[in-house]
This record gives sequence, structure tokens and C-alpha cells, in this order.
Amino acid sequence: MTAQVVLNGFVTGMVVAMPAVALTLIYGILKFPNFAIGAMLTAGAYLALALNVYLSLPVLYAAAIGALLFAGIAVGIDQAVFRQLRERSAITLLVASMGVSFVLENIARFIFGNGARSFELPLARPKVVLGLRINSEQMVTAAAVIVAMTAVYVVLRHTPLGRAMRAVSDNPSLAAARGIDRERIVRWTWVIAGILTAVAGVLAGMDRAIDPLLGWNYIVTVFAASILGGLGNPVGAVVGALTVGIVEESSTLVLPPNYRQVVSFCVIALLLLLRPYGLAGAQRIKR
Amino acid sequence: MSAQPSMLEAHEIALSTEAVAAGYGGGDDIIGNVSVSLEKGSIFTIIGPNGSGKSTLIKVLAGLLPARAGEILLGGNSIARLSAPERVAAGLSYVPQEFNVFANLTVGENLRVSTEFLERKRRASADQRERVLAMFPEVAGRLKLRAGYLSGGQRQMLAFACAMMAAPIVLLLDEPSAGLSPKFVAEIFEKVKGVNATGVTVVLIEQNVMEAVRIADIVLVLVNGATRLLATPEDILTKHNLHKLYLG
Amino acid sequence: MIDYLITILTLVGIVAILGLALNLQWGLCGMVNFGMAGFFALGAYTAALIALAGAGTLAATLAAALVCAMACGFVAMISLRLSEEYLAILTLGFGEVIRLFVLNEDWLTQGSLGLPGIPRPFWGWVSEKTYEVWFLGLLITVVLVLFIALEVLLRSPFGRAIRAVREDDIVATTLGKNVVMLRVKAFALGGAIIGVAGAFHAYYLTYIDPSQFSAVITAYVFMAVIAGGRGSNRGLLLGAATIMVFIEGTRFLKDLFNVMDATQLAAIRLILIGLGLILFLIYRPQGFLAEYRLKSSVAVQKSASFLRRARLRTSEPKPH
Repeated sequence: MTAQVVLNGFVTGMVVAMPAVALTLIYGILKFPNFAIGAMLTAGAYLALALNVYLSLPVLYAAAIGALLFAGIAVGIDQAVFRQLRERSAITLLVASMGVSFVLENIARFIFGNGARSFELPLARPKVVLGLRINSEQMVTAAAVIVAMTAVYVVLRHTPLGRAMRAVSDNPSLAAARGIDRERIVRWTWVIAGILTAVAGVLAGMDRAIDPLLGWNYIVTVFAASILGGLGNPVGAVVGALTVGIVEESSTLVLPPNYRQVVSFCVIALLLLLRPYGLAGAQRIKR
Repeated sequence: MSAQPSMLEAHEIALSTEAVAAGYGGGDDIIGNVSVSLEKGSIFTIIGPNGSGKSTLIKVLAGLLPARAGEILLGGNSIARLSAPERVAAGLSYVPQEFNVFANLTVGENLRVSTEFLERKRRASADQRERVLAMFPEVAGRLKLRAGYLSGGQRQMLAFACAMMAAPIVLLLDEPSAGLSPKFVAEIFEKVKGVNATGVTVVLIEQNVMEAVRIADIVLVLVNGATRLLATPEDILTKHNLHKLYLG
Repeated sequence: MIDYLITILTLVGIVAILGLALNLQWGLCGMVNFGMAGFFALGAYTAALIALAGAGTLAATLAAALVCAMACGFVAMISLRLSEEYLAILTLGFGEVIRLFVLNEDWLTQGSLGLPGIPRPFWGWVSEKTYEVWFLGLLITVVLVLFIALEVLLRSPFGRAIRAVREDDIVATTLGKNVVMLRVKAFALGGAIIGVAGAFHAYYLTYIDPSQFSAVITAYVFMAVIAGGRGSNRGLLLGAATIMVFIEGTRFLKDLFNVMDATQLAAIRLILIGLGLILFLIYRPQGFLAEYRLKSSVAVQKSASFLRRARLRTSEPKPH
């Protein structure tokens, strides 16, 4: 029983890991928590839905193309909104991201209405492995997330882009003095964040129905994951997400399932009281 | 302030400014009407009391702060409109006073990042990298260490080494000896001389007057954002009363 | 027509009270409250339950103010040593927590069924027909009283201390202010005002359910505050009027584009509000009235950064 809970929590955590990494990357480079992350998840899900339902693309292709399209949208949002606010405070950017969130969510609502939708998916029976039930969505989720996270890790640790991203995240003016074009790095960050969030949207949409409030079911969890891992720390975000996923799932043994995000909120509150830099805080050298 | 006696004009000018003014945000000008000419291969030291605008001037030269007026020429070409990364590409390297390395990247990554984003012609060849590592052995031995774990002196060396990876024509150093122990202060100035010996023009701002003046070819005294005096080290040490200059 | 006008003005009045609270919390103290909708719901439900239990609307209003004040104080306490973004995240989370609580604890709140039959203040004192007008009058009185009280607060020692804290808390600490409790108190006071707004909302509609407390409220309040100039209460009243114009203006969209249904109209409104927020932040962050200063005075900034540098120089940077 508990093993099943841990498994389910692990898989949920994997879904949350992607927007958590996106959130933490944006925080690292642009120094503000992006409140639009929930709406971005929703928008990514709807984009793939549209491709799946109206263009009859299989979910896999809809997700992939949707993710690339959404990456473009994310960069567009940055150029239109956040770029005009580069020199402003984190709070201004935060409020602006809330504005972006309203716009994205309601464009989806305007086009698709409030009703719940779902992907056209072929039916599949869950498998049983080592006494645990795993359905095909969970397997797809695991595969997608592992691939995505590995790719992000490789990019960050072993490519010039990744080094530049870490440099800009560490010290933007020094990065400029060393020849790194900050705007280019910012755009690439949004591309990566956009892809991750859109794919997470699809995975979430497979798990539960898609409606304009989809992102709201995850937003507190995503923040909890990122804060647990230390804002700005991508590896931490993944660990944080898995942890929070398992904690949330375990809580359903004693609490009603709707209280998941209450649990995550308590995690955030406890963390901020005790260890503001996250569990992995010691790893990150702050000034 | 006019330029020095005519022997300077016979040599090539690496970097010059004409009536440069700058300030922060919406505030007043911190520096105004600063005109200097740096002969190629020289060490140009700028000294002055706290708040005189030395740091502002160097940031303007580096491209981190826009000049509100005046012109900046690198090897005769105007660079006033270039961004900081573009100035690096043009041959101007800068070592900030604080936060001058990427603390969360390893030493090796710091060095790599300092050259990866330059155009092909400025990008450090393997030879250049070897030369820089040879010049800074304390850096070479610690490539896998996170830069944030280095001591103050080691960090300074790393910051210096990173700036050198771009094979600069002109090197800007913002208070390189700040916060360092006396042993490191001497070492840093030795390194400055060593780097200069390879042909790099060095602009140096310093609080540590004695050392900085001693290695200089020309000294500029900046007070309240204006050039008060431009002289050789001998002149400064013998003829002028710095104390009075600083306060007057 | 008049009825419609009264309805709009009542809505604007409640948004104005929320705006006064946000101006206090964000404008004066620099603490952004993204959980506005949630605290508002907390106030409304508290007032409704107390009033329904027969304690009278005055007690209910006070209870709402108290509960919201405590909730805000609690959230402020948690995030004290941290930068502003964390408080924003916490308020967002707390707002969600309240929303979920209200939805799930039906033994208390009737969940999505809502609470009907909420009593109204001074009900029975005037004829039913004219009640709405009197209610609006009461609401406007409350707005004005709060407005005056807050303007007085701004000029009081408490207000000056809060402003000093906002400019730079390190500098403020050296001046001997108890930074910690000042912030908590100010945020809690804002919470009390939100509670009052919630109570009035409950009385006005006499029926509340969770669907009334979506992020739309948060959007309207932020818009009113930003349009008026964050921190400026005078501007807020102007900003609140803007909301009214906006709502009226977009009503015609439905008639114009017949194909739109109610959901789509609501969606368009929110899209426009979102865009409005963004445009204001980019192009006119000081709002319509240029009272609010974006940055602290240069002198305070200089001394603050001098202190910061002095601190950095005397300590060896250590990994945390």
C-alpha cells in the first residue's frame, strides 16, 4: 500500500519537476518568481490539445510540436513584457507575471470555455510490476521526464550555453564583462522553460482533465518544489519535486485528496521558517 | 587637464577619452570632463579619495555604465556605443573589484566561460590558455574547485587570469589589491607588471597609493570627478602634496 | 438603471476598501499580497458565519477583521527574514489554502453550496426598497473613514517608521526600530481592512459561495491600486473609478459581438485587465497621479549601500 503511494507520488513529482526546473531557471537568470508558471502549464496543455483534437495529431506529436510552439510563445512573452521591465524590482516582475497569467488563462478560457476536455488517447490497461500498478500515462510521464531532465542536465553542465546560463545566473554584470550577451541567454532560458512547462502541461492533462484552472492545481506544489531545492538550483528543483510529490501523495492517506496543495503550502511555510535557502542551500554559494 | 609633454604624442595611443561625463540613475554627474590618453604598453594608475569617481570612470571604460557625454577611443576607434561584451571583443578586458569571479562555477569553468563567447579571433587558443595558466599557477592547480571556495587572494588571481584569457589590448583593473593581505598585494602588483611586460596596456585604479604609483608610468589624480593632476610617479612623489590635492 | 449604477458603485466601494488594504500592505510596507482573494473569502465567511449564528453584524464585522488580521499576521511572521518575493509566494499559497478549506469543509462552510440568508446591517431600519441605497451610503462612509484613518496613520510615527523600514531595513535597524514587529503589525492591519471588505461583501449579496472569490478580485484590486499609483490612496479612489468605467465599457462588448457568451465576456475582461496591469507597469508605474516615488531618495540609497559594503568588507565571504 505504501509502496503504491510512494510510486504514485514519485510519478506526480516527476510531472512537477519540469515546471519546477523551469521556474528555478527563470528565477536564476531573471531574479523573480514567475507566477505565470501555472498558466503556462495550462496554455501548453491547451496548445497540445488543439493540435491533438483539431488537427488529429497523435498526442506524442501534438505534445512535441506544441512544446516547440510554446517555446516561441514564451520567448514572445518575454520580449513583449518582461524585457521592458528588466531593470525593475522583482515585485514589479512578479505582478507583471500575474498579469501574464490572467491573459494566458483567459485566452484559453475564451477559446475553449470552462468545460473540462481531454486528449484523444488510445486506451491501455495498467501493467502490474512487482505488485505495483503502473498505468501507461505514468510510464510515458516517467520516460518523458527522464529524457527531459537528462537533457537539461547535460546542457547546463557540459555545454557553453549551460555555462553561460549559470554564469549569468551567478553574476550578470560580470558575465557581460566576460563577453556573454545576456539577452541571448535570457531567450534560451525561456525556450527551455517553455518546452519543459508545455510538456508538463500535457502530462498533467493526461492525468486529469484539461480546464482553464489546470495550472492552479499545481502552482503551490511547483513553488514548494523549487523552494525546497533552493530557488535557482535546477538539480535541487528535481529533488524537491520528487520529495514534495511523495509527501503530497502520502498525505492522501490521512487527508482528503483536495488538500494536496495545503500540504505543499505547509512544506513551504516550514522551510521558510527553518531553512530559507532550501535543503540544498549549503551547496549554493550566495553572497 | 591637458595631456602630458610631447614625448607621449610620439607613441601610439591605446585608449583615450575626451570630456567623458557619467553618473548613476537619475543623479548628478559623478565624473565630468575627463580626458586622458594612454600610451600603448603603459601602466596608467588612477588614484583619488573615496567617492572621487574612480570606480565610475572604470565602469564607463568597461561599458558597464553609459557615458553621458564625451568620447572613448580604443586604438583610434570609438567604443562609447559598444556594450560590455562588444568591448571585450574589441580588446578591452575588465576585472571588477568585488564579485569578480563566478562563485558557483569551478575555476576551470570560469576560465572557459571567459573565452567561449568571444569571436573566433579573440577566443583563447590552447597556447593562450597555457600561457595564462603558466602566469597564474595558483589558479592552474585548482581547476576543479568551485571559485567561491577560493580565498580572497586566489579569487583575485582567478579574476585576473579570466580577463587575460581574452588576450586583451587594454586591461582595466578596479582596485586589484583591495582586501588582500600584504603578501598578496605584492604578488598582485608583480603580476600586473608581468602582464604589462607582455605588451598589455594597463589601467589601474587603487586606494593603495604607494604600490600603485610605484609601478605606474603615468598617474592621474581624480578628485570629485575631475582630473586634478596628471604626472609621472617621480613628480607625484617628490613635487606634489597629495594630501592637499585630495582635500582641495 | 439606477439600480444598476448602485450595484456597480457598491462593487467599486468594496474594491476600494481592498485597495486601501493593498496600498497599506504593498504601497506603504512593500509587502505584496497575492492572496487577496483568499483573505477576502476568509473575511466574508467569518462574517457570514458569525452573523448567521445570531451575533449581529457589528460583531460579525469585528470578527472578520480580527480573523483576517491574525491570518495576515501569521503569514507575515513566517516570511520575516526573507525578501519580498517569499511573502508574495506565501500569500499566494495561503490564498489557495483558504479556498480549498472553504470548498472542502462543508460541515462549516457548506462547501460549494454556499451560505444563504446572511443578515444585513441596519436591516429593518429602512424600507426594503431603499435599503440598497442606504447600504451604499454606509459603504462609502466606511471607505471615507478608512481613507482618513490611513492618511493619519501615514503621517504618524508608525507610518514614518514603516517607510524607513521599506527604504532599507538594515538602516532602519540601526535607527533602533523593531523591524520585525512593525512589518507584522502593518500587514495585519491591512488584513483587518480586508476582513471588513469581506464582511460587507457578504452582507451585500446575502449569499456567498466559493465561486465568488476567484482571482478576478485580486486582478481588480491590483488594477485599481496600480492605476491610481501604488501607495497613493487618493489615486486609489481614481483607480477604483477606472474599474467602474472598465466594467461598464466592456458590458457593451457582449451586445456588440452577439456570439459571445457570458464566459467569454468574463474572459475578455480578464484579458484586458491583465494587459492593463502589464501596460501600467511598463509605461506608467506611478499610476495616473504621479505621487508615488519608484525609488527611495538617493541619500538613503547611498547610506544603505555604504553600510552594505562596509559589512561585506569586514567579513570573509563564506559558503552558506
